[in-house]
Amino acid sequence: MSTAGFNSQNGTGTGQTYTNGPSQNPVALQQPSGVGYSVNHQPAYNQMQAKVLAPPGPALYPSGPYQPVPPGPQVGSYPPAPAQPLLPRPQIGILPSHTPPQSASPSPGPRPAQATPPAQATPPPPAVTSTSYYTGPPAWQYAAPRGPAPNHVNPAAAAPPLMSHSSTQPPGPGAPPTSIHGFTQPGSAPPPMNPLPPHTYQPNRPAYGPPPTMKPTAPPAGPPGTTGTPPPPKADAQCWGAASSARPPAEPDTQEGDVECPGDVAGNGPQAPNSYNHVDNRMAGAAPPGRHLGHYPSLPPGYQNTSAPPPSSLHPALQAATQPYTQGPQPYQQPGGPGPGPGPGAGPAQLSPSMAAMSLQSSTPEALRVVNLLQERNLLPPAPVPAPTPCLTQDLQKLNCSPEVFRCTLTSIPQTQSVLNKAKLPLGLLLHPFKDLSQLPVVTSSTIVRCRSCRTYINPFVSFLDQRRWKCNLCYRVNDVPEEFMYNPVSRSYGEPHKRPEVQNATIEFIAPSEYMLRPPQPAVYLFVLDVSHNAVETGYLSVFCQSLLDNISALPGDSRTKVGFITFDSTIHFYNLQEGLSQPQMLIVSDIEDIFLPTPDSLLVNLNECKELVQDLLKSLPNLFEKTMETQSALGSALQAAFKLLSPTGGRMSVFQTQLPNLGVGALQSREDPNQRASAKDVQHLSPATDFYKKLALDCSGQQVAVDLFLLSAQYCDLATLGCISRYSAGSVYYYPSYHHQHNPAQVERFQRDLKRYLTRKIGFEAVMRIRCTKGLSIHTFHGNFFVRSTDLLSLPNVNPDAGFAVQMSIEENLDDMQVVSFQAALLYTSSKGERRIRVHTMCLPVVSSLSDVFAGADVQAITGLLACMAVDRSVTSSLSDARDAMTNAAIDSLSSYRQSALTIQQPGLLAPACLRLFPLYILALLKQKAFRTGTSTRLDERVFAMYQLKYQPLAFAMLMIHPALYRLDDLSDEGALNIGEQTIPQPRVLQLSVEKLSREGAFLLDAGLVMYLWIGRNCHQNFLSQVLGVSSYAAVPEKLYLLPELDTAESQRTRAFVSWLRDQRPFFPSLHIIRDESQLKPHFLQNMIEDRTESALSYYEFLLHLQQQISK
Amino acid sequence: MIFLTVIARLADGLPLAASIQEDEQLGRDLQHYQSQAKQLLRKLDAQSPDRCMLEAGNVNFCYFISQGVCCLCLCDASFPKKMAFGYLEDLHNEFCEQYGKRVPTVTRPYSFIEFDTYIQKTKKSYIDSRARRNLSSVSTELQDVQRIMVANIEEVLQRGEALSALDTKASNLRSQAEKYRSDARFLNTRSTYAKVAAVVLVFVTVIIYVRFWWL
Repeated sequence: MSTAGFNSQNGTGTGQTYTNGPSQNPVALQQPSGVGYSVNHQPAYNQMQAKVLAPPGPALYPSGPYQPVPPGPQVGSYPPAPAQPLLPRPQIGILPSHTPPQSASPSPGPRPAQATPPAQATPPPPAVTSTSYYTGPPAWQYAAPRGPAPNHVNPAAAAPPLMSHSSTQPPGPGAPPTSIHGFTQPGSAPPPMNPLPPHTYQPNRPAYGPPPTMKPTAPPAGPPGTTGTPPPPKADAQCWGAASSARPPAEPDTQEGDVECPGDVAGNGPQAPNSYNHVDNRMAGAAPPGRHLGHYPSLPPGYQNTSAPPPSSLHPALQAATQPYTQGPQPYQQPGGPGPGPGPGAGPAQLSPSMAAMSLQSSTPEALRVVNLLQERNLLPPAPVPAPTPCLTQDLQKLNCSPEVFRCTLTSIPQTQSVLNKAKLPLGLLLHPFKDLSQLPVVTSSTIVRCRSCRTYINPFVSFLDQRRWKCNLCYRVNDVPEEFMYNPVSRSYGEPHKRPEVQNATIEFIAPSEYMLRPPQPAVYLFVLDVSHNAVETGYLSVFCQSLLDNISALPGDSRTKVGFITFDSTIHFYNLQEGLSQPQMLIVSDIEDIFLPTPDSLLVNLNECKELVQDLLKSLPNLFEKTMETQSALGSALQAAFKLLSPTGGRMSVFQTQLPNLGVGALQSREDPNQRASAKDVQHLSPATDFYKKLALDCSGQQVAVDLFLLSAQYCDLATLGCISRYSAGSVYYYPSYHHQHNPAQVERFQRDLKRYLTRKIGFEAVMRIRCTKGLSIHTFHGNFFVRSTDLLSLPNVNPDAGFAVQMSIEENLDDMQVVSFQAALLYTSSKGERRIRVHTMCLPVVSSLSDVFAGADVQAITGLLACMAVDRSVTSSLSDARDAMTNAAIDSLSSYRQSALTIQQPGLLAPACLRLFPLYILALLKQKAFRTGTSTRLDERVFAMYQLKYQPLAFAMLMIHPALYRLDDLSDEGALNIGEQTIPQPRVLQLSVEKLSREGAFLLDAGLVMYLWIGRNCHQNFLSQVLGVSSYAAVPEKLYLLPELDTAESQRTRAFVSWLRDQRPFFPSLHIIRDESQLKPHFLQNMIEDRTESALSYYEFLLHLQQQISK
Repeated sequence: MIFLTVIARLADGLPLAASIQEDEQLGRDLQHYQSQAKQLLRKLDAQSPDRCMLEAGNVNFCYFISQGVCCLCLCDASFPKKMAFGYLEDLHNEFCEQYGKRVPTVTRPYSFIEFDTYIQKTKKSYIDSRARRNLSSVSTELQDVQRIMVANIEEVLQRGEALSALDTKASNLRSQAEKYRSDARFLNTRSTYAKVAAVVLVFVTVIIYVRFWWL
């Protein structure tokens, strides 16, 4: 049906068009460069004037607001650039010179300019000195510690010897940026200041440069040397800078400068960061000797310097275009700046353009800062790792889809497959398409505007050629704008198609017209299939289930047509006739399980509204009905067949509760797990299904729009690998509660209850299909998640729920040469529980880059990890677990070694990674130690398979917690930096490394592993914490099994509970909390999550790094 | 047996409520009939006869139009005509009572899908042979059932096709006429130019003649 629906619509409409915001994309990209230049020139001029005028310069520096300033304002400034017209010829002339060297950088004009200089100039020593000079002001120092990462790239790119050469040849292009550097800073502050700053800097240099950040990190490097060296390079740089700059600026600059004065403001902020970067890079370079020291313990001091770059810095940085380049230019600039004496007039003019460029890129270098993993241990940011921001212009970025919904492993898409192959990073998307959103624009219109050839929905990234035509951003076809689209319902104005909500929101929902329906919307139908064998009754889940359903029965999503039904089974199948008018539910038993039939087709699924009382009666009596049962067999297969028959006319949701291995009738299984085999070093067997019965049935279900959700509550082996197929191919979800028992395992009971509540009341979409489209040239080839792929790219989702995540892998089939951005669009067509057919559309736009270092700069380490995990799950099923483990390790080795070989030009010892991938080895190691992939005896097969399902099915944010849990110290929570949500204050403790080293006996630590949390109480835990939070008098009094934090009326208790419940509220499933003492049985589970530590069968983090290094240097 | 019931707005054929009975015999054909029903609803307008039965193989479409709402059902050929129209009228009355005022304002398809519940119940009472006796009154009210027009679905749908064919022909004709007209105009202007040119030529000749020979 769905396909037809898609096809049926015509995007056609009569076309009218405007050029609008979106169209800007192409334009904008081009413009910025031009603008940037213009801007630059202006400031330069100002500076000139300023020189005469101004002393204020120095003040500016100290102010040190640099970091915050750069990204936003600068971008904004571009548009104003009206100056452009003024810029004309001279600038252009300048530009070309810049561009040639830039070749590598895909990004628009501004970047290239920067890029070129770095390569030439960057000889490390001079850079260092220069940076230090600039930084002189205190602000600098601050920044440095955080942002240290910036660019290794620069140093790498620049060959030290080149310096002299570069100065001679490239100077024209390169020089301007250098000068800019010095100037830019002043620029950021009021224009007048400019003249002074250079002067001030110079004096500063000596003082600041040597002392600050540099020393700590790279003591061996020989700070003295650096200081000494700088002067000569500077001089050179200045000279050529002056010369080169002199020619171009002369005429145009003066004019422009006067006019544009205001424009100059934009750039300054960013520069500062750049300079930092240089320093950092240097440091990294210098550091190598430190590596030899080798042991982590020795390192600590060094770590501190580099430790935890602030997440915030990342974001802004990303926005800027190419990072690496920027760094290079800086050193030059500095010399230019100082050079005031020689050619002030010329120098400043040139400088200004470069400044603008700098501002753009300024922040970016952070992602590419080279990190020596062997030396810097404290890589984990103090708060959750944020998603990187693609390097797009702000206009685009503002419109872009939220990373929570749509994430790409590479936020800069490589131009060709060969670049992608070189980078050795997987390219793919991670989606959470049906996420609960607080704000979602909904559009009702009779025609939904779509591209005529590729059926793409109109989105913020299309371009309007004129009022009546728009150009598709996926296939580049020009389409007409329908008449209706000219009217904007939001502003009630006519003739502004680019202001329509469809073109203003990357995430939007349409109410679909009847062309999108193959049949009238079906009612919401919920069928519960319950295991009532002896084993099931033993666990006592039935009463919990019935109670939960009773509590939530009116909250089931649906309208007045909602239908429910129940089937129970043991060795026979029991149906319940709930027809209106009966005085009590009627149980109908079918014992012919070989050829199942429905006893009364009409009255088994009943309207919930009309028969609510009967349903409630049934739920109340059900737990007692089977209390005494002695039937131990389970005919799950037949029950599923019966349920399928019942649901097939309407489609709907089937919830299956199973507590043991099905052993009767069709689909009977045998236990395949041999606990003794677990111990053997041989590979893990039986990860693939034992029979295809469940898969076939799931496909039938999918065809009839039935989804099967499986709840597995069992202590013994249930062969989840086989049973799970029923959910996997019908787009259901799997819940697993190992060792569920109503008395022995209260934590699981609570989890089951909470999960059920969420499950019963969450949003649901029926008869859904999802299609992911991407710009021509890219192709999607593998999908991960729970669904069935109906045609090549159409995912059939009988049900879609807000907790489901998907991942896809992509390849680049055609070169994306002439594109600056590519777009991805996920469209989810579904029927809401109220019978509305809706289409939810997400569109994401990403830049295309040509150089390998840019690709690395845009890597999203979490997304990569998530995608690799999905791929590894597939690999372990189709091949073997050890294969999958090797593949993951190789992924880390390959990408780091390709980074080393291709993106780094300066080879240093150590295990080097760009800052954006610094967590990659850690995550890979975490994956290797994850339940799904770990080796050793402790993992039961079902748990392993369940972990695999989770990795594939959970949205990235939750999957990451399961891969790399978060560790917090809870005994010293304070309100410092706390979040305020509503009336609650939620403390935000730091995320600690997962190492026992971080634990202390005096503390209490919370380990949040997604599905489960452990609160570990140290043996000498503060008395205060014990009494105020746990309500016990001493450590010994902490009960062995404690699952709840007592509600005490103390500040500590409130803080702790607020924090834990805040963590829980953020996810759609309920993590159970285990409060454990040092000698608790659960301690091994707790310790298994200490990923950085060595375990019996796995390497510690440091050993793993050494292993990687060894492999890389081979 | 009634397989399919659709209630739609007459003005634009927008479906408002529907009910479908899956039937193994019909199986896949049901899809086909559904799309036929959609086409039919789009074709119907205020000029259509307000009661009509359309034969489509071994099943019949029956529809009933009143107050801007069209009720359509698909039933067995053997299903009594009287019953079918009784059923439709019943639905129509109830529907107009519940939603009649909102019909002109809705834009979303199947806005009143919840009416499905009532449709199913009514259907049950009409199909159930025991209940039929209770409905005997229906037949008396529907004496004029005999006058219900019977046509073939193909004809009805194709009538539309014929019309659209006519339409395309007409538009072809029109475009050709326009072309002819523009061609004619072009020719006209050309001949005018020729005439003017001839006159000018003569004139020039005269001038030259006067200039060189006369003077």
